[in-house]
Amino acid sequence: MLTRLPTSRAGAAGSPRRQIVAFGGGGFSMEPGNPLMDDYVLGLAPREHPRVCFLPTASGDADHYVVRFYRRFGAGCCEASHVSLFRRDEGVVDFHEHLLTRDIVYVGGGSVVSLLGTWRAHGLDATLRKAWEAGVILCGLSAGSLCWFRYGVSAFHGAPQAVRGLGLLPWSNCVHFDGEGSRGDAYRGLLREGMCPGYAAEDGAALHFVGERLSRVVASRPAARAYRMRGVEGRVRRRALGATYLGAPLAATG
Amino acid sequence: MAAVPGAPERRRIVAMGGGGFSVAPGDPALDRFVLDVAEVQRPRICLLATASGDPEAQIARFHRAYRDLECDPVHLPLFRLGANPVDLRRLLLGQHVIYVGGGSMLNLLAVWRAHSVDAILREAWERGIVLCGISAGSMCWFGAGVTSSFGRPRVVEGLGLVEASNSVHWSSEPGRRTCFREAIHAGTIGPGYGVDDGTGLMFAGTALVEAVSARDGAGAWWVEEAGGQASEWELTATRLSAPASTTPLSIAELRGARERRLRPNRLGGRAAGARD
Repeated sequence: MLTRLPTSRAGAAGSPRRQIVAFGGGGFSMEPGNPLMDDYVLGLAPREHPRVCFLPTASGDADHYVVRFYRRFGAGCCEASHVSLFRRDEGVVDFHEHLLTRDIVYVGGGSVVSLLGTWRAHGLDATLRKAWEAGVILCGLSAGSLCWFRYGVSAFHGAPQAVRGLGLLPWSNCVHFDGEGSRGDAYRGLLREGMCPGYAAEDGAALHFVGERLSRVVASRPAARAYRMRGVEGRVRRRALGATYLGAPLAATG
Repeated sequence: MAAVPGAPERRRIVAMGGGGFSVAPGDPALDRFVLDVAEVQRPRICLLATASGDPEAQIARFHRAYRDLECDPVHLPLFRLGANPVDLRRLLLGQHVIYVGGGSMLNLLAVWRAHSVDAILREAWERGIVLCGISAGSMCWFGAGVTSSFGRPRVVEGLGLVEASNSVHWSSEPGRRTCFREAIHAGTIGPGYGVDDGTGLMFAGTALVEAVSARDGAGAWWVEEAGGQASEWELTATRLSAPASTTPLSIAELRGARERRLRPNRLGGRAAGARD
């Protein structure tokens, strides 16, 4: 377990601290046996046994995904729950109220287009914004990372394309960033065409935002990187961001 | 593309109240009926299991039900295209039958709209591709349906290819029926069809031409406001042949039956009087 960081729901001015941890890829569903990224998020919560709610919407509420979530978060470390929008006979029923009283909302991967369509139909987009403003920590990987941004680069549907997200963070986002690969190419193309500046994160890297600002980049793998990306006059500027490897001895983290 | 642009009556929808391959013990006669409606030797049939989030179990059941029938089954999982990108429009318009599984009607329509699949399905219908489905996959084609996506039953707008309303699991889920009747009585939704598990309604264009049933005692009802209350008229359903038969239903026979069955009112059913 990571040493608890000196954070709490209350920001400096007493208003709730709005936090999002957007994984490029990682956590229990992508890195079995590597607890670092999930532990980092748990460490941000203001209590020893955080209330963590899983939203597997992007996978169509796949049973195996829900099971794996409980295997990771259910065993003593947290108060775990999930909301299923496809199987209303299971999971939490009054999910609006439920989400607002969690410490962490964890969004799984899958189709970001299907995710956003379903959330909007249930008014979850508004509820998640409220939760964020109330200090609930939002996190997720892949589709569960793209969804928080103004635009996400999704490769789910054939050729990578821009998808308009919830817009809590006024940036663009590219997950599973692969540098010169097809996603990276697509992201650079979109930035050249005028997409708003943003961030690219590789698998194993996570972007931790406080408010709309990037506060920190953490990594569950030593070599994982994240980048600040911006289009300037038809060209793309990419700046590597310093990342803290979460597996390093505590004395060396920083 | 496979289907030629159809005259309005070539637009066909088979709306089933429940059952079919998705639920044990299944209704093989209904599974086969939707293939016969396509009127081609070896129809291509595509499952959209969107309404339940593309669960593997439902997809496997679909393939188990159709692999031994004379058809080419595929499924299109909108939640699992990641490793297998496809051209949605091309794939859907290349089918003879599109079969929509049950689940949440609200989620179904929201996800379709997010992927612009709603417009493709309308185009498929206009081209004469048979649209069919059970439960949510039935109500979606109508002006309105009764969803339990919010927990308790509630009316929700559909795609409106057929203007009437539709409610499913008529006898097996009384809460849905009550909701449907109340909404029709209140004028929130227009009149429409209540359909049992194991029963299907076939529309040509927007007209009901046939009610079929794979189960004894299962039926369908037309519900409309009459005399200050929501009244129900039972429709006459053709009992489909038992699944043991390997002979596909003769389309000519069906057509003949259709023509013989005169429609006393615009609904193709005998008036059985208001219930309850």
